[in-house]
Amino acid sequence: MKLQWIAWRLILEIRRDRRTLAMFFLVPLVVMTLIYYALQGDEKASLGLVTRGVARLWDYPISAVLAESEDLELVELSLPDEEADPVKIEAFIKDALAKGEVQGVLLMDARLLEERFGGERGDLHLYLEGSRPTATAAILSGVASAMDDLAEQLPIVVDNTCSAQCAESINNKALNLNKHYLYGDEDYRSIDYFLPAFPPLLVFFFTFIITIITFQRERARGTLARLIIAPFSFFQVILGYGLGFFAFFTLQSAIVLGYVLLLLRIPLTGWQITQLGFLTLLLMLVAMVMGLFCSFLAKNEFQAIQFIPLVILPQIFLSDMIWRVETFPVFFRLLAFSFPLTYANRAARGLVLKGEALWINWPDLLALVGFLGLFLLGMLLFVRSRQAV
Amino acid sequence: MLKIKNITKRYGRHEVVSELNLTIPIGSIFGLLGPNGAGKTTLIRIITGLLEPDSGSISLLGGKPRDLKVRQQLGYLPQEAALYPGLTVKENLQFFGRCYGINGAALETRLAELLTLTELTEQKNQLVEELSGGTARRVLLASALVHRPRFLILDEPTSGVDPLLRRKFWKWLRALSLEGASVLVTTHHLAEAEACEQILFLRHGKALDVGEPKALMKRYHAPDLEAAFLAATLEGSP
Repeated sequence: MKLQWIAWRLILEIRRDRRTLAMFFLVPLVVMTLIYYALQGDEKASLGLVTRGVARLWDYPISAVLAESEDLELVELSLPDEEADPVKIEAFIKDALAKGEVQGVLLMDARLLEERFGGERGDLHLYLEGSRPTATAAILSGVASAMDDLAEQLPIVVDNTCSAQCAESINNKALNLNKHYLYGDEDYRSIDYFLPAFPPLLVFFFTFIITIITFQRERARGTLARLIIAPFSFFQVILGYGLGFFAFFTLQSAIVLGYVLLLLRIPLTGWQITQLGFLTLLLMLVAMVMGLFCSFLAKNEFQAIQFIPLVILPQIFLSDMIWRVETFPVFFRLLAFSFPLTYANRAARGLVLKGEALWINWPDLLALVGFLGLFLLGMLLFVRSRQAV
Repeated sequence: MLKIKNITKRYGRHEVVSELNLTIPIGSIFGLLGPNGAGKTTLIRIITGLLEPDSGSISLLGGKPRDLKVRQQLGYLPQEAALYPGLTVKENLQFFGRCYGINGAALETRLAELLTLTELTEQKNQLVEELSGGTARRVLLASALVHRPRFLILDEPTSGVDPLLRRKFWKWLRALSLEGASVLVTTHHLAEAEACEQILFLRHGKALDVGEPKALMKRYHAPDLEAAFLAATLEGSP
């Protein structure tokens, strides 16, 4: 029996490669932790309740019913009690929705009772942020059940002299829920929410992998050293690489984007698509430079491959792509800030779901440019220390 | 042409090159001889500018190794097969030629010359990944010569090459030297180094001795360079 020596050699070699050891034992734990929080995430939609006039009487019972809903979290709004101007109230609500303070606001004002007494169904006004279909669905479901209780509690005006005929005219009509969407409309599907995050992920994923492997191979076979010795500056070499990759990655980005736009049911203008294309290209550049940087950190192709799950997996979980980052512990929420996809997803969703111009999300763009600069600087430091080849 | 003064390079505590001095004149073939781990490759990486020495200075072709003007005139043949396997022989040579600013008819003429010189004309359209080790080595040499370097550095050029091709390599190097180029070649094949005009014995990063092959053999009363090297190793610098 000699085969044990093959195992012995393998164990000895891996034992000395700390990075591989970490990959074997630490990464699965990190990924399992992420899966744990992602799947057990008790995501609740945030809802504010605004009552005005006589409708304040139902503030408590409605709040109690809404609070019972497992999918809802009631949020206190900072709207002054004395504010009664419907226009100002509506403006305040929309502002709170746009800022992300709440995902929905239920408004009941004096008009509700007036309408009921007038024999009408009576309007409840539900303001929805609308870009997140799961939250919208949770709010609609919670409010629908609250409405049944509310209808039961609303006073029925019965005159003493009311005859049987008169009693039939009592207003027991169902309440009307008047929905106001800040973004999108009722036709948004859950998949429409997730689709805008796919072009960034796919473009990032493939650009990163191809870049890190190609550049690592260039280093390993010695051609990078030859290019460094040739009359190029190091950044000319990087730019040359960028230009070469750019052609392929641009085509890939166009295919991915085109396919996603085909699947999306949200009508986008040509200008929006152009902006989405720009965002994808910016992310592609970040992924490329990050791939180049990580290839410097790897001593061989094996180590380079190890970067792929390390860089990609946490971003899938924490970049708000599928799971809300708010459902993760603080450490992971903070970690999410260090991922380019976090910013790219937010900007892409703003563009597609909210119809926001790309520049509105300038902090996200700035963050992506920051990553670009950071990794370029990292590469420069490597080159200065002459560890690049 | 190349002047090295008191160069030292350490990796951690280990001194790979130690206070080395070296001068290589124009148009000569200079051999850097030493066993594996003597510091030859590190020295070459310092001369090519891939590594920065911890101390000492280098003057190459009247400038510093990282000067663009110097790099334009520097040819480098690394130990490994530093070619693009997915490109053909001709495409590899075209690429390296263009890296040095040679284009159009000038490039085509130069490629024809090199393909003839290195006897690669028939294989010019073959992918490098399909070539044998020896043929790939010839492509590597051609790619290092494409821009007519004034200073050529060859790191173990004949490593893994059959004796016939090894002889051809040395014939080509002599031709280059006659054209006025300086050649710095490292080898641990002591016998073949006799073709060099000057030789430096290197061991543990230290220069043991330098001189013409015959003079070195005479100095150590040795029948060949191998014996001279061993004697120099035992005695240290005379």
